[in-house]
Amino acid sequence: MRHRLALRRAVLVTLLVAASAAAAWKFGQVRLLYPRLAYLTGWILLGLMLLLTLYNSRKKLPFLPLLSSRLWLQAHAYVGLFTAVVFLLHLNGRAPSGWFEGVLAWLFVSVTASGIFGWWISRVLPKRMTTAGGEVLFERIPIVRRDLRLQAEALALKAIPEARATTLADFYTREVSAFFAEPQGFWSSLAGSRRRLTALLGSLAETKRYLTAAEISSADRLAELIRQKDAVDFQRSAQLVLKGWLFVHIPLTYGLLIFSLVHVMLVHAFAGGAR
Amino acid sequence: MSLSTAPGLQRPKRWDSPFSEDITDADVQRLLRLAPFKDMRPENFPRNASLAEILRNDGRLKLYKDGEIIVRQGDYGTSAFMVLSGSAEVVLHPDLPPSVVGRREPSRRGIFRAIAQLWSNAKEDEMERARNRRGAGEEDRSVFLQDIPVLLNRHKTATIHAGSFFGEIAALSRMPRTSTIFARGPSTELLEVRWQGLRDLMRNDSRVREYIDGIYRERALSTYLAEIPFMKYLSEDAKQQVMAATQFETYGDYDWSGEYKKLAQAGTAAIGKEQVVATEGDYPNSVVMIRAGFARMTQRVGDGHRTLNYLGSGRTYGFEEIAHNWRKPENPVPLQYSLRVLGYTHVLVIPAAVIEQVVLPAIPAGQLPPLIETDSQDTSAPFALPEMPQDGETAPRVNADLMEFLTQNRFFNGTETMVIDMDRCTRCDDCVRACASTHDNNPRFLRAGPTHDNIMVAQACMHCADPVCMVGCPTGAIHRDAFEGEVVINPATCIGCTTCATNCPYEAIRMVEQRATDGEILVASDFKPILKATKCDLCIDQYGGPACERACPHDALKRMNLNTLDELVGWLQR
Repeated sequence: MRHRLALRRAVLVTLLVAASAAAAWKFGQVRLLYPRLAYLTGWILLGLMLLLTLYNSRKKLPFLPLLSSRLWLQAHAYVGLFTAVVFLLHLNGRAPSGWFEGVLAWLFVSVTASGIFGWWISRVLPKRMTTAGGEVLFERIPIVRRDLRLQAEALALKAIPEARATTLADFYTREVSAFFAEPQGFWSSLAGSRRRLTALLGSLAETKRYLTAAEISSADRLAELIRQKDAVDFQRSAQLVLKGWLFVHIPLTYGLLIFSLVHVMLVHAFAGGAR
Repeated sequence: MSLSTAPGLQRPKRWDSPFSEDITDADVQRLLRLAPFKDMRPENFPRNASLAEILRNDGRLKLYKDGEIIVRQGDYGTSAFMVLSGSAEVVLHPDLPPSVVGRREPSRRGIFRAIAQLWSNAKEDEMERARNRRGAGEEDRSVFLQDIPVLLNRHKTATIHAGSFFGEIAALSRMPRTSTIFARGPSTELLEVRWQGLRDLMRNDSRVREYIDGIYRERALSTYLAEIPFMKYLSEDAKQQVMAATQFETYGDYDWSGEYKKLAQAGTAAIGKEQVVATEGDYPNSVVMIRAGFARMTQRVGDGHRTLNYLGSGRTYGFEEIAHNWRKPENPVPLQYSLRVLGYTHVLVIPAAVIEQVVLPAIPAGQLPPLIETDSQDTSAPFALPEMPQDGETAPRVNADLMEFLTQNRFFNGTETMVIDMDRCTRCDDCVRACASTHDNNPRFLRAGPTHDNIMVAQACMHCADPVCMVGCPTGAIHRDAFEGEVVINPATCIGCTTCATNCPYEAIRMVEQRATDGEILVASDFKPILKATKCDLCIDQYGGPACERACPHDALKRMNLNTLDELVGWLQR
């Protein structure tokens, strides 16, 4: 159904491949003719990196007429991939030598990789979050979690006088209270693992045989709360990743820019030795 | 948190900002000696809103010179006028071109003022603003029509004499002005009354109510009927016959917000409470045209009713069936769908006899609606889901569940509804931050709201076609922008009464504490914080439109008109 988006992506990928192929072809043509070609590719690389960092500035100036963020992100992504191609051309098949160049190269690869990762999860996770349900604003997750816990505790307590038994309350204390107390495994939630959920619901189903009719109704409601808590845990993990990757990408970018500027100064300071 | 409790800081009141500072006691006394005010009984008015006080605070006197435009067609206005002396001329047809009446884009921030926001934006949230909203009052600039004799030759006009009201249609229906009206003669004196004042006059004096209601119906009819597509095939004589036979019908009260909200919140239970204009299976005895408000077209499915489409202003119902029966009298069909209304809905009803005798014979054969296939839909099956009806001009199709979602939540009322594709939204809140950056550090919407499948309608002002929020505002602080019709709040005249926030069925208006320049919360003499209503203003004074939409990196957020489904369908299929 999404014709325009698919068409746009196809056009942009084609342009990226064409630009990369053209750059590689031109580089292959002139690399033997110009011994100082690394300077040119280096400056192009720095220019592209500075261009890429402008996107973050654009996001901080929403009141200025600076085109839509959507266009900026597309440009950021495709120019970023093209920058990786220029980086490879700049290396010219040579491995970085020395710790400084090593760190610089590692920073570049990390920034690029974190960017691609961010792009990928921003396409994959939203759909999973929508499908999973239990959507809640990130800032409200602790409040929702507390509400679920209070509801679950109230159910367990309510069952005691109704059934004149503590079976469900005991089960809650033994098996479920820890589940409601805090977010469950970050990675397993993110991966969509249902192991913990299935185990809890299975235990609850097993316990039902010991419950009175009044307790069974509370147990059914408790099962529903467990499912809701599981969904909230997934929402928390997914939103943490979606918000958190930028805390890797942006600091690494600052590091990369600082190392790159020092690299430029060093290269020009010792330019005589490079001839 | 610190509080500022300056002694004597009074809570804002309705008439703290009167419509005009210039109206004097002598002016009010003069008005009270004129009809219709002299015939009103002061004891019918409450003590806190006496007739004199309404005139003093909600009225203003204005003098217009020959050719000066009083109201422009297409502008939104929230006041009505009464001619005190001289006369005014209303342009009937053809309409005056926009350039002649001086219509132009509203002023936005210049590029330098846009950049200056980098350092000039307040550091504290919601700093108290004494000034009017930017652009408010610009409609006061005078525009004069040139070469009036030529204009009178080319355009049919009608004269409004002293003692008559005009402008009440736009003021009361919160719709654009239907005609351009200009002053005639060397000096025309008008009394302009804010719609809140007009409402109070109508509420407290039955004769004013009947008088305004009468002219409202009389003047609106020809304009409204002209919007029906088949009217263009009719001669003047035939149009007069249709007008003579047409009836107005109104469902619900004008002050319908409470009922509307109750129904909106009732969700799926609401359908049973809605008034039915016409019932599926009945004989089609009239064409119904929606003038204001909305109606839903439903079809029986099993023991319930499924919404097939919703009809807004200008849409008609029942014409296809009458046209079919006129062409195939040997094989007549009943009404195919039911028509149900919510709250205040204003409809025109044209009897089938007039349609058959006057309208249908005038329509070229090729322009008649297609015949109805009587055996194509078997609705007797308990779960038979009916086909979505084709719309004539456009044939948008959305998932039936999505249609139900939009209708149940009354989202069709929105002209700038914030719709978010949750399959693309990364919950980054760039939209929220952009909104806060452009609005006193406080976002004007919540990125949360009713969700169907992957479509979320966020709690942001939808700039409704018929904004219920405006109904109860005592000061007119919440109003339509004159040019584009965005619903905006003037913080200088908002008294924080919460009426608009309570009325809004979409939870899109929020009351926020006001702060002094030093960041302290302002507290009135009753030791309660001073509140102002805040909501999305569609970045009316910013470059490039709504900041939220421009800030979304993932093409997930769109402001769109849901009065019809066209934009939504296009966006879903992007």
